Amino acid sequence: MKFKSQKVAYWFFAACMLLLTLQLTYGFIMAFAHMGLDGLHDYIPFNAARATHTNLLVVWLLTGFMGATHFIIPEEADRELYSVPLAYLQLVSLLVVGVVAIIGFHFNWWEGRKFLEIPRPLDYLVVVNVLLFIYNIGMTVWNGKRFTTTGIVLFMGLFSAALLYLPGMIYFTNQTFDSYFRWWVVHLWVEGVWELIMGAILAYLLIKLTGVDREVIEKWLYVIVGLTFLSGILGTGHHYYYIGTPRYWLWIGGLFSALEPLAFLGMALFAVAMYRRSGRQHPNKISLYWTVGCAIMAFVGAGFLGFAHTLPQVNLYTHGTLVTAMHGHLAFWGAYAMIVLAIITYSMPLMTGRKLWNNMPGLLAFWTSNIGMVGMTGAFAVAGIAQVYLERKLGLDFMVVQKEIEVHFFGLTLAATLFSVGITLFIYNFIKHGLPRDEMVGDQSLDADWVEPHQKESVAAAPAPEKSTPKTGKKAKA
Amino acid sequence: MLSKSQARTFFLVGTLLFSLLFLFLTVDSVRQVPAQTRAKNITPAVARGKHLWDANNCMGCHTLLGEGAYYAPELTKVYERRGAAWMDVFLKDPQAMFPGQRKMVKYKFSDQDRQDLIAFFKWIGEMDLNGFPPRPSRDLNAGLPAQVTPPAPPSTRADAPAPRPTTQPSSQAAARVAAAPAMPVKFQQLCVACHMLGGKGGRVGPALDGVGKKYNVASLRKWLEDPQGVKPGTAMPKLPFTAQELDQMVAFLLAQK
Ligand code: HEM
Ligand code: HEM
Ligand SMILES: [Fe+2]
Repeated sequence: MKFKSQKVAYWFFAACMLLLTLQLTYGFIMAFAHMGLDGLHDYIPFNAARATHTNLLVVWLLTGFMGATHFIIPEEADRELYSVPLAYLQLVSLLVVGVVAIIGFHFNWWEGRKFLEIPRPLDYLVVVNVLLFIYNIGMTVWNGKRFTTTGIVLFMGLFSAALLYLPGMIYFTNQTFDSYFRWWVVHLWVEGVWELIMGAILAYLLIKLTGVDREVIEKWLYVIVGLTFLSGILGTGHHYYYIGTPRYWLWIGGLFSALEPLAFLGMALFAVAMYRRSGRQHPNKISLYWTVGCAIMAFVGAGFLGFAHTLPQVNLYTHGTLVTAMHGHLAFWGAYAMIVLAIITYSMPLMTGRKLWNNMPGLLAFWTSNIGMVGMTGAFAVAGIAQVYLERKLGLDFMVVQKEIEVHFFGLTLAATLFSVGITLFIYNFIKHGLPRDEMVGDQSLDADWVEPHQKESVAAAPAPEKSTPKTGKKAKA
Repeated sequence: MLSKSQARTFFLVGTLLFSLLFLFLTVDSVRQVPAQTRAKNITPAVARGKHLWDANNCMGCHTLLGEGAYYAPELTKVYERRGAAWMDVFLKDPQAMFPGQRKMVKYKFSDQDRQDLIAFFKWIGEMDLNGFPPRPSRDLNAGLPAQVTPPAPPSTRADAPAPRPTTQPSSQAAARVAAAPAMPVKFQQLCVACHMLGGKGGRVGPALDGVGKKYNVASLRKWLEDPQGVKPGTAMPKLPFTAQELDQMVAFLLAQK
């Protein structure tokens, strides 16, 4: 860790861990309700559980992106953060708004639009909050000693994400317009500007972990985000097939959204290629796993499973069924949850000085959570396909079909338990790292791209941990 | 090989071009959507219904236009499927209509609220959605206006004053239905959602073929006026009949011998 202000990232990440835990709890509540065990119905009806589950997801991912930004931007701009108190103020206010919103959900206070349930008055607070964040980061970048592509792409992603929140705040009486502009937030976030954020974090991590030349990595970053927008913007049309919008969206949306997996394929190939090219062995194995794993799982969840239901002929039948939930889980997990967990595992040793970067709980966390999530995806897939067939093809009643597929929610619960074990291990490792320490500031021994293999497991307890001499001159560049 | 500045140009030009195209298509869609969604039918009642839809986060369990959650039925065509009278009764107390099933929240809707929601669903159902929802290739429910749910728990039937279902060849039943007093509109709107008659209808309550053999005017009237009073805990809700409708209903049911 080069700059003292990078430490703020820790608190953002700690908040992530907390919100993630709560998110999973609400996931279980819904899985049980789907099985007919809805004992909580009077206190937490399904819609409250669901709004909480998805909003917590979005909030912890955003918190994670912000934490990542606070860690990456000082380094990319080569200066301290513009204002540390502002960063703390922003984190605390974000959490307050988030918590108030979630409590509100339990009292039927919301906007009732999928993924944008946060009540309107709180929307304004979110906007103010994000402006604070953008201001703080913007000033850091602007006054920075250098401009890097990674830094700029990250900032552009965050800035456009903030901008795109606004169309979601317009009220329309016509349900079709309501939906049309709601997708400007939801779709253009996850299949547009968030990919910039993800791509930038991925590029940063690959530069650090593989030591491949920055110029090469950043060139590919441009190609990938170029592909993202080329396909993703008009790809919004895959949500405009059947909501009362003109028919031309069927072929425009179908064509361009079918190209969207290219950007994810690009990321996966790029991460694997860079990994292969790295002539060295970075000791932070766990972070490397999460980084490369993220690129691969994003391709599977978003690219492959997204493609599976994006053509209008298929989507006519799968639209609004559990098939969508199957894709939603693996896509969010692979692309966004994993990138946040990757930057956390990368930065924690640097902030705290404890090198828990190749230990058993950490590796198990990676494998268990991923296997669990793949299992959950499978359970949703079987339930979804059965639902499509029975309800949309054979015309059976919705509730009859739900009874038939109850058993798959038992499968979902089992897989989700495995998944949660993985997340618990991850959080365990997170806590074991302890708090960020001032002694780590300016200590570049762990920042170094190259650490001798025999130093791997030593725990840096002393104020000045052992220095390792980078073998290559790349440190200066990265 | 591609250089970094070429890659940047590819990104910038592509993004600009496709953003402009998207904006252009949006302008065109905004022009066309009002006609395609019959926006001229958005009455104040529809607008209030839409507000209720949002304010209660109905989308947190249901889908509408295929958007929402996967816990409760798709509602795009609910007006066509159920009709206004049924929805009005159902929205008063959803759990009474399908007891022991997956629960819907019992909202404190006023009479006006329920009418507004119904107006909203009616408007939604009339949109041109490019073919959604798809028509099932083999519609097992063809002709059933009702929800087909598993048979009611035995207790509702065994000790009920309501008749046990008598299985009748449906052609005979149909013949008798034709000869009997005309089927009241309310019967089609409400009762068939849960009861079968002549082989058509729901399976929440017992079939009503032969119901006339088990009741007389007084007992039937009493049952319809206050199902809970006659048999506490029954799944049968008290339905909103006017005095005249009640007379017609009783006459019609008694003719089902
Ligand atoms: C990381 C990227 C992605 C994430 C996080 C993501 C997530 C989601 C989520 C949560 C939904 C449900 C939205 C709703 O119904 O409100 C959804 C729907 C959809 N996604 Fe993605 N997605 C991603 C990428 C993609 C890609 C690349 C494709 C196409 C190749 C795709 C195709 C679709 C389609 C067609 C739907 C609509 C499903 C329906 O009609 O019900 N997605 N996505
Ligand atoms: C303990 C683990 C989890 C369980 C049991 C669980 C269960 C569920 C259930 C039952 C639903 C509601 C589907 C419906 O509307 O009927 C849901 C929705 C959703 N969950 Fe999870 N979930 C879990 C973890 C996660 C994680 C880790 C993520 C993200 C990485 C996630 C993302 C989502 C999303 C995006 C939706 C909305 C999907 C859509 O509308 O298409 N969930 N989850
Ligand atoms: Fe999308």
